Amino acid sequence: MTGWISDFMNHPATYLKSGWLQISVSNLIVIILMLTIFALAVLIPFPKDKEDHK
Amino acid sequence: MSVSKEAKHAFDAAPWTGKTKRYDIVKEGSIAVALVAIMAIFLSLFLGSPDDTPLTFKGWAISNPDNFYATAVQELSGSSGTATYGAPYNKAADGLNVGPLWLQKWAGVTRPIDTVNEFVIAPLSTQVLSTDIASALATWKSAADSQKHDWAVAYDDAITKAEGKISTVPAGAYGPVPVLAQGLTDMAKGGALDAALLSQGGFFQTDNTKQILFFGDGAYLDEAGTTANLQGGTWGMMNETGRYPGQAWLWLYSFWYQIPPFNNENSKPIGTNADAYIMVIMGIMSLGLILIPVIPGVRSLPMRIPIHRGIWRQYYDENGIKRRKK
Repeated sequence: MTGWISDFMNHPATYLKSGWLQISVSNLIVIILMLTIFALAVLIPFPKDKEDHK
Repeated sequence: MSVSKEAKHAFDAAPWTGKTKRYDIVKEGSIAVALVAIMAIFLSLFLGSPDDTPLTFKGWAISNPDNFYATAVQELSGSSGTATYGAPYNKAADGLNVGPLWLQKWAGVTRPIDTVNEFVIAPLSTQVLSTDIASALATWKSAADSQKHDWAVAYDDAITKAEGKISTVPAGAYGPVPVLAQGLTDMAKGGALDAALLSQGGFFQTDNTKQILFFGDGAYLDEAGTTANLQGGTWGMMNETGRYPGQAWLWLYSFWYQIPPFNNENSKPIGTNADAYIMVIMGIMSLGLILIPVIPGVRSLPMRIPIHRGIWRQYYDENGIKRRKK
């Protein structure tokens, strides 16, 4: 596959390092996205049902 | 069954008489599948997939011929990583253990690999050879096993003393080994070794065991792993080539390799057997995850950390259900 996005993605990654902890920026983005989706799933209220059944 | 258990069973089995909500699980499942499919198609169209240049014997032999040559000699002398690995490839070592549990040894040799023949002699035998290589091959095949071993070990030692610089290795009683190693290096440079090692006699070639083991014995694969940040000591298990996200969910497996004693190969007994110990630790932790419903304290965590009440807060508010007192 060619194209600037593919070229960008196949370029060597950037890594964040602190002591023994090391993570790629891509993995960090995915983890932040996962946590954000989890937080939204907890915080966003359920849509109101048109009808409730007793 | 006691009376209280019968009553509990009857209570659990009785139809729900409380408030209900309309819920279409098929609709939700369909929407989820459709959304994931659209995202997968959209992202793959724009982002593609990891497209790192394949590692080949040709690339190895051209980029670092001395290392390839020295590795070929190690395969002949039996000093390579594969030749000394133990099960499942051979009986050269006992392998990893956890205390009295010799897991690797007990599993036995299930994929025998003879590095001399499978990595060097057999691939060379598939080629139309020059006179000197054909002669060296014939000499090797007709020699006694002890003689072959002496030639290869002498040359392997000489290369080690010369720190891998083949051109500086002094002459010695190496028999046909230098010619065979040069023949395999030339074969690799031409690209023929890749095909020879992959060929298994079947139509579809899917077993790359031999190539990966041979690669692993030299510096080529190791250097490629370091360049792409895929080494175990740098959270490589979580990473992918290029800027693609990797296997972030493997962070806990990878974590152990970053801390002592697992990250110190000289630490006995755990560091030298880190893979086996980490496998046991993760096995116990996975068992703990499966057994959460029956572990006292852990199973009641949702009551102490009531995230579910946050998700279903409308239901709890509307019905005035307070938190149960501890």
